[in-house]
Amino acid sequence: MELFCLGLNHRTAPVEVRERFAVSTPRLGAAATELTSMAEAAEGVVISTCNRTEFYLAAPDAQHGLLQLESGLTRRERLDGSVSSHFYRKVKADAAQHLCRVVSGLDSMMLGETEIFGQVKQAYQAALAAGATGSVLNRLFQRAFGVGKKVRTETSIQEGSTSVGNVAVDLAEKIFGHLKDSEVMILGAGEMGRITAQSLVSRGARAIFVSNRSFDKAEELARDMGGTAVRFDDWQHALERVDVVISSTGCPHALVHRADVEKVRRARKFRPLFFIDIAVPRDIHPDVAEIEEVYLYDIDTLENLANEARARRQCQIAHCELIIDTELAKLNLPGT
Amino acid sequence: MDRWFLIIATLLAAIGGVWGMISVHHGIRSRWTVLWMGAAVVCQLGFLSLRGHLRGACPLQDIGEILVFLAWAITSIYLLIGPAYRISLLGVFTAPLVFGLQAAALISGMLTALPVRELPTGVFHALHSSLSVLAYGALAVAGVAGIMFLVLDRQLKAHVMRSGLFRNLPPAHELLVSLERLLWLGTGLLTCGVVAGFLMPRTPQMQHTHLFLALAVWAGYAGLLAVKAVRGLTGRKLALSTVAMFIFSLLVFARV
Repeated sequence: MELFCLGLNHRTAPVEVRERFAVSTPRLGAAATELTSMAEAAEGVVISTCNRTEFYLAAPDAQHGLLQLESGLTRRERLDGSVSSHFYRKVKADAAQHLCRVVSGLDSMMLGETEIFGQVKQAYQAALAAGATGSVLNRLFQRAFGVGKKVRTETSIQEGSTSVGNVAVDLAEKIFGHLKDSEVMILGAGEMGRITAQSLVSRGARAIFVSNRSFDKAEELARDMGGTAVRFDDWQHALERVDVVISSTGCPHALVHRADVEKVRRARKFRPLFFIDIAVPRDIHPDVAEIEEVYLYDIDTLENLANEARARRQCQIAHCELIIDTELAKLNLPGT
Repeated sequence: MDRWFLIIATLLAAIGGVWGMISVHHGIRSRWTVLWMGAAVVCQLGFLSLRGHLRGACPLQDIGEILVFLAWAITSIYLLIGPAYRISLLGVFTAPLVFGLQAAALISGMLTALPVRELPTGVFHALHSSLSVLAYGALAVAGVAGIMFLVLDRQLKAHVMRSGLFRNLPPAHELLVSLERLLWLGTGLLTCGVVAGFLMPRTPQMQHTHLFLALAVWAGYAGLLAVKAVRGLTGRKLALSTVAMFIFSLLVFARV
């Protein structure tokens, strides 16, 4: 039995091609069975996420299986032969190595992301439940999960946040611990502010206040996020109670000055206050950072921190690949 | 024999501290420090029980014993609250302090070489000594939490997130909460210790400076807690005051 993989991802295919081959989560098991018979293979697993669709199969002849599968898929989707340039093909040990890279997050758009591990596990379990797997793929996937865990624990491939929103949320957690007692205020109804606030809410922030020059927009955003709209004249009042302020207005000059914060310090009992300024021009005057209990991060600082984390992850690739190669060499998997 | 217990406890604290620092430097959260400190506390207890047996009283009769008792109180409080409240790195910051206190106790002249059996001094004397040293143990760990907060605060203000220290330090809020709880615990114990001190039977040769200094330390901590509760304090001021107050409280030991 020989192992092979046919796939396309965000690097090889644009979204209009990827969406043709995407498989919804409830259909993963059925799709595995269907493709196994299409490729005249004995076993199959289908992985489908927003960035990739991959078919892992085990057949007596990998090259024959690949041809069958590719032509079957092209026929089914009524596509011409040009689509084959978007596919990558891996056979035997290369296929096993590729799966380990995918599970470890090395092949992800956001290097080292952890979500893919759960998605692959879900795909494998669906195929297992549908009876589409056998001794080759069972062993391959179980070992790949082991390798993926080893890569994540022995390297820092998943350390640090690589997006501005996640850096801000991580910082909020470093200041306040769990966010269930934290209240957040958004100044401005911009998209970046909304995304960052959404991340804070997803990690448990207790309350959201939205203030915007246009009160209608503030109300709309507050409704979307399950928060409370605050009139723009009243944001200084709200400052007395909130822990995190995300500012992303289009104001051409600084909106929050040191005096604004000094005024509410006593009322806040000098509790820590975290300002996330993602506006350009900046909404929060740099002098505000001189106040003892204030932590101020502007867009450049957040971007730099995200870039540093990305660079740190890049440095880990060689170490991760060494672990994968060493582990695969030890495993002597069937079909490779 | 008692000194050997102390030497081993000092070495264990040193290993715990160095091990923890190396782990932090490599960005790893090591759980070994707690084990080294756990072993250190066993040796401290060995030392204190031997000295207590020789004295026939609480082993707080010379400056060396007081320093070791304080080191034991600090280590025990760390072992009680560090793992329970998941305050990572508290051990790494506590170990050097424990090492320093025990190393100081080992300096020639700090420990009486041949401890003599003490005459009974009464229950209030024993209560005053033991509760006060336990209180200083809690207040010392509060100071350690304060230093940890100051380090984290500095890194957050300077936007430095790369270090293993930053990644492994607990959140600022949790450090401040622990610090405040330890201040309440320490001040509560100190209150009992000071009250017991004033209830001790007076003798003409007794020095009052020690008790008045203890009272001043108590007033300082009580005032700090009152200001925090009523007016509020920034984390930095609370941490700095806690560290400064502990250094000031060492004056009481200097006057033992």
